[in-house]
Amino acid sequence: MFLSAKIGKGYVVTCAMISAMLIVVILCFLAANSWQAFSQVGLGLFGWTWNPPKGQFGMLPMIYGSLAVTVIALGIAFPLGIATAVFTSEMLSATVRVYAKSFLELLAGIPSIVYGLMGVAFLSVFVQDVFVLLSGRTILTGGILLSIMILPTVITLCDDAMHHIPMSYREAARGLGLYKYEVVKDVVLPAAKMDILGALLLALGRVLGETMAVMLVIGSLDKIPTPFWNVLAPGQTITSKLGREMAEAAFGSLHFEAMIAMALILLFFVLTLTVVSLTYFYNPEGRLYE
Amino acid sequence: MRVWTLLILCSILGIGCSKREAVMVSGSSTVLPIVSKAADRFRMQHTDMNVVVNAGGSGVGIKQVGEGKIDIGMASRALTPLEHEKYRAVHLNVRTLALDAVVPAVSSEVYDAGVKHLTLAQIGQIYKGEIDNWKEVGGPDREILVIDKEKARGTRHVFMALVLGDKEAEAPGADLVLGSNNEEQTAIVQSNAAIGMLSHAWLNAGVKGLAIDVNGNVIQPTRENIENGTFPITRGLFVITRGEPVGVTKLFVDYLLGAEGQTIVEASGYVSVR
Repeated sequence: MFLSAKIGKGYVVTCAMISAMLIVVILCFLAANSWQAFSQVGLGLFGWTWNPPKGQFGMLPMIYGSLAVTVIALGIAFPLGIATAVFTSEMLSATVRVYAKSFLELLAGIPSIVYGLMGVAFLSVFVQDVFVLLSGRTILTGGILLSIMILPTVITLCDDAMHHIPMSYREAARGLGLYKYEVVKDVVLPAAKMDILGALLLALGRVLGETMAVMLVIGSLDKIPTPFWNVLAPGQTITSKLGREMAEAAFGSLHFEAMIAMALILLFFVLTLTVVSLTYFYNPEGRLYE
Repeated sequence: MRVWTLLILCSILGIGCSKREAVMVSGSSTVLPIVSKAADRFRMQHTDMNVVVNAGGSGVGIKQVGEGKIDIGMASRALTPLEHEKYRAVHLNVRTLALDAVVPAVSSEVYDAGVKHLTLAQIGQIYKGEIDNWKEVGGPDREILVIDKEKARGTRHVFMALVLGDKEAEAPGADLVLGSNNEEQTAIVQSNAAIGMLSHAWLNAGVKGLAIDVNGNVIQPTRENIENGTFPITRGLFVITRGEPVGVTKLFVDYLLGAEGQTIVEASGYVSVR
């Protein structure tokens, strides 16, 4: 008995260490392979033009594209997702809720290339017609497609967050004479805030990291549109750039290193956002219920 | 009972492990239709061998065969001096599989509205952004959707070398940058004002090839003009191996260059080299 407990503990600790090591190894790999780019190109990495044959590695257009699609995707998916989660968690009966949730989780399992192809075949044509554009492959199209892709994740996580709030909270609130919408607005949502934030971070990671689908619909033009808020123009995200050019860059060349530098910057975005949101919102006593 | 289960499991594993000898092919999406069709037939004739075909673009094909990641690279352009230099040690062996033309391709709406041919200079101006409306070249009053390709694509090298004078020229007039022939074709069909560059074999009812006007002579992208080289943007399609091919790789290369392979070349819309 004693021995098996020890083995079990060892196994669990080893697994945790492996997971923790992975992120360190990836960071080291990215840093080691982009060092040359940072030392040789330096601030040139934050220029406006990307033209490897001429030694120009400005990645601002890609950084802009990644941020723009993130803002659009989260801006669409969050209001929609939270409202839907309120519906599934607070208004559906327990049996129906289980079916609805399984169905949504099924959507999260569709490969991104399928979303991408549907984006090319329908969404981009739709955007082109609605806004009367030269081409429907725009930053907005990428953002909308991403919002559709993260919606199932957002809904199902927010639904869990709200569903975990004990029934007694709602009963107490109703007992005080609150209307149902007041119960949701003033009791359930504030209490579930932390977990909803977790859902946001997970969705954010997917938006920033998604490659295939975005690559097919965004137009892949390394330019910041003029004016810069014109998201009805084609653009490029860091991931779509990597997806299109990684295979053709020779391993170890400055071109390759500059691409890795872009990947490193992307990783830093996600890390910074995670750390910032945790420091601002994380509150160990924030979860009132156990 | 247990023994039987074990035996069955072992034999399943055994079948899984008896690997066919495989040839890995990758590269130009222009050469892809020929090679993947040939690979299908080849597999049927040689059931103990396998051919795995992937796309990725000429640059990728040359790089991977140079680095030894694959057995055969497909390319729709010649090797650049830089690539020659880089893979000098491995002696890349380049064979011509077929002839093809890179054709300036437009949406059928533009073609039907009267733009049937352009000069190379006009195409250059379109890609530089100096001409941005079809009416300036005799078409409808509609903005031009200029579709460029990824820098390492063979089709782009061949096209840009003639149109802008440099195979890696920037195209400031470009509105979209796409990759494979397939992607480019889709984008041109979806638009009513697009121009792009496509291999001759990828033209269809929605994507029309323009003739090129050379000093007043309008040269159509026809089979004959590709074969005798009068169409300005003709090129060879190549298969590349590391040194002289051997074993299954040799068998497959010989199949491609032989009578059956060349029939597939013709059936795919390209011009045979035999």
